[in-house]
Amino acid sequence: MKSTPKVKEAGGVLNAPKSSRLQSVLKKDLNKHWFAYMLAIPVLVWYIVFCYGPMWGVAIAFKDFKPLLGFAESDWVGFKHFIDFFQGPYFWRVVKNTLMLNVWGLAFGFTAPILLALLLNEVRNSKFKRVVQTITYMPHFISLVVVCGIIHIFTADEGIITQIVQLITGKEYTSLLGYSSFFRPIYTFSGIWQDIGWNSIIYLAAMSTVNPALYEAAEIDGVGRIGKMWHITLPQIRPIIVILFIFAVGGLMASGHEKIILLYNPLTYDTADVIASYVYRRGLREASLSFSAAVGLFSAIINFLLLWLTNRIAKRTSEVSLW
Amino acid sequence: MNTRSKRIVNLAIISMLIMLVLSACSGNSGGSNGGTNKENGQSNEGNSNQAVNTDQNFDDISADIRGNKGPTQEQIDLVNATLNDTYLGDVFEEVIPSDYSAYPFKEEVVLDVWMPANSDIPDMNAHAVQKQIEKLTGIKVNFITPPIGQEADSFTLMISSGDLPDIIIDPGRYPGGFEAGVNDGAYLDLTDLMEQYAPNYTAWRNSNEMRRKTTVTDDGRLLGFYGIAPYSEWMWFGMLIKQEALDKTGMDVPNTIEEWHAFLTKAKEVGYSEPLNYGSNYGQIFTGILNGAFGVWDWTFLDENGKVGWGPAQPQAKDYLATMQQWNKEGLLNRDWATADFNQRMSTAISDKTAAMMDSPDTMWSFWKQQNNIDFVGALNPVLNEGDKSATTYRNFMRTGVSAAITTQSEHVEAAMAWLDFNYTKKGWEMINYGEYGTVHLVDENGMPYYHPESYIYNDPDGQPVAVTLHKYRMHNWPNIRDEHHSNPLIVSEGSYSGDIRKYWTENMDASVAMPPISFTKEEASREAELGNQLSTLRNEYFAKIIKGELPVDAYDKFLSEAQKMGLDEFLSIHQAALDRYNNR
Repeated sequence: MKSTPKVKEAGGVLNAPKSSRLQSVLKKDLNKHWFAYMLAIPVLVWYIVFCYGPMWGVAIAFKDFKPLLGFAESDWVGFKHFIDFFQGPYFWRVVKNTLMLNVWGLAFGFTAPILLALLLNEVRNSKFKRVVQTITYMPHFISLVVVCGIIHIFTADEGIITQIVQLITGKEYTSLLGYSSFFRPIYTFSGIWQDIGWNSIIYLAAMSTVNPALYEAAEIDGVGRIGKMWHITLPQIRPIIVILFIFAVGGLMASGHEKIILLYNPLTYDTADVIASYVYRRGLREASLSFSAAVGLFSAIINFLLLWLTNRIAKRTSEVSLW
Repeated sequence: MNTRSKRIVNLAIISMLIMLVLSACSGNSGGSNGGTNKENGQSNEGNSNQAVNTDQNFDDISADIRGNKGPTQEQIDLVNATLNDTYLGDVFEEVIPSDYSAYPFKEEVVLDVWMPANSDIPDMNAHAVQKQIEKLTGIKVNFITPPIGQEADSFTLMISSGDLPDIIIDPGRYPGGFEAGVNDGAYLDLTDLMEQYAPNYTAWRNSNEMRRKTTVTDDGRLLGFYGIAPYSEWMWFGMLIKQEALDKTGMDVPNTIEEWHAFLTKAKEVGYSEPLNYGSNYGQIFTGILNGAFGVWDWTFLDENGKVGWGPAQPQAKDYLATMQQWNKEGLLNRDWATADFNQRMSTAISDKTAAMMDSPDTMWSFWKQQNNIDFVGALNPVLNEGDKSATTYRNFMRTGVSAAITTQSEHVEAAMAWLDFNYTKKGWEMINYGEYGTVHLVDENGMPYYHPESYIYNDPDGQPVAVTLHKYRMHNWPNIRDEHHSNPLIVSEGSYSGDIRKYWTENMDASVAMPPISFTKEEASREAELGNQLSTLRNEYFAKIIKGELPVDAYDKFLSEAQKMGLDEFLSIHQAALDRYNNR
């Protein structure tokens, strides 16, 4: 990003030979580091074949796609699948639930690993630090089905979490998964439990690159621990936080169906039924590739708009951005 | 120079590594295929020496085989390696055909057959029954089985690649269903070929009006080979009560809803804290067991005029909901009925909390009787008034197992049909349902195959349990004449009474409300899927909330008006049109 203005300057002085100069630089570089370039080829090919190549396939969202007839032969149906989806009586509910679950994830799931990383960074006993790190990132490797089984047991009628909630609220509850008001907290906090350690690794890595001289200078100025955290550590890892935040906002309309389907039931549809689970239930009756492609495309477009918007805001306010 | 040569060596090593990885990936499937092909070829060479009896006039060997408890090797070979079926009895209402004129097949062919894998059968090509059928028909088969869990992807890939095998088992996977696959040109329309190339299948399906009707499309086409049973299989789901609960309460098996209420209340008094295990998050609130008493069937059903009705919209729905809400309030249902998963449900079932359960007797045989020695009895679906007949929307219309289709790309249509047609002969019935003669089954005095106590089914040389051997030594789900009641080892094994319960239910309940297997046109199917999904979401949500007490019973009125707004009438007219076409078949 920073090199762009320099090239411009150079081009401003010698406008005509700009491209040839660039070419010769490239040529030289290619000669010198051809091996490194070769190593990049597989990655490039991978992107072209698996990411850009299939992209034209989204057009099946506008077709009545039949695998046997293939892409070209299937009939065009225009926006039929989109209209089907938008006009469904549950459209607004599933969109709202998808957004709300992700907003919860952003509010709690996004901040929790930063907090954990900040706390771990202050721990001086490296053995203790490593033990805590290992324990917190282990749940990441547990299969989702097992995690949901654990959630089912803990939130069951006499489960430990149910009992704690009863103690705090003083009300009687049967299994917590049967109440729509509990679904978002259960979904979000079980997600935090599973991924907090794993997601904090990147922040810890960023923190380890902070220049110790900054802390020393602050100590001399008489700044306390909280002060150092707030005025040195956080500003130093801000670029990482901002970039990850942009990505997270870009996923607001995304939803996976596996965990939802393992946890929801008709009693909690009003908060738990999301786009993915709704489409999944429809798919059980009739597997329509075009319909799911249309819904996927719709979510992806909203996600892209959100990503673009956040990126713009971030660029204006913090000068950190993806592009 | 030095660094350059180093780089070249590096490059060579890396490219070798890549090649190795690639070849290892692709080699997996290619290699095993090649291997099995070879194996098939070899085994067949061996077979050609064994003369397969082509003569239709076999010697009657029933005196040797029927009732024989220790057959000699010669007798075993006679049964396993020849088409002589004279020892098999005519045990069903209709006689199973035995036209073997096509075997051994006139030319050497290898058929490619795609089928979803079964985790209990490591290699379909090495399946004992398959090898035997290859011997008897003289048709070699190469099974293509995708890895478990990847069937759907693998199927879509196969279809879109346009490279189709000869036969596809479970062709209903085609988007839009079996019929759509024929319409789109993936599967061959067999209407004009059946009589000539599949005489046994044709004879068998035509021997009974119900079988004929469920295996033909609305417009009279024959799409493929369906699994067809000699009878309607027993219903597999209903009300089960622990024997000890009956003893402790001193009550008889309840019949009316009122008697059920009395029984459950008493059961709660004697210590079953959550007497009725009502359901779970995998959807068993709607089983037609309790709601059926009120005529509020789960989904579509046939009303007394033979028209399609939608259960949740029936007049007595409010009574049903009010009753269940009351039962829930009184603590007669398991507290976690809305959320429990399968394991939670089963652990409650075996605990002292539960007295009665709505589930499959085969499942409960395993969880209650085998694992915990809890005896149980089956109760008929409850009725509202004394003297009413118990009813159910479950009925098996003699269609079972799986289907098979022949693709439009098959170059061996005749052989493919002959291979499938064998499954509908007497010999095919014996071999596929009961496995090999001698090691797996014997034949009784009436010419009926059965598993003897030393059978591999119960005493697997590899030590595997019956749940595995029932797939290993016989075909459980197949396009064939499935004889579930006599050949499913879980039902016929010594001491098991789960089959008796299923039989009792089936024989004592009125299934005239059951919908036959209708099919939709392409336009109907897409609209039906959409409306069906919306209506079931609506029903599940309202019914669960009302029973739980989160909504009053009067919320049902709002439910009904919303269902109508969604298009309930259109939904019913789609089903009615399909039913009318079915009736005209």
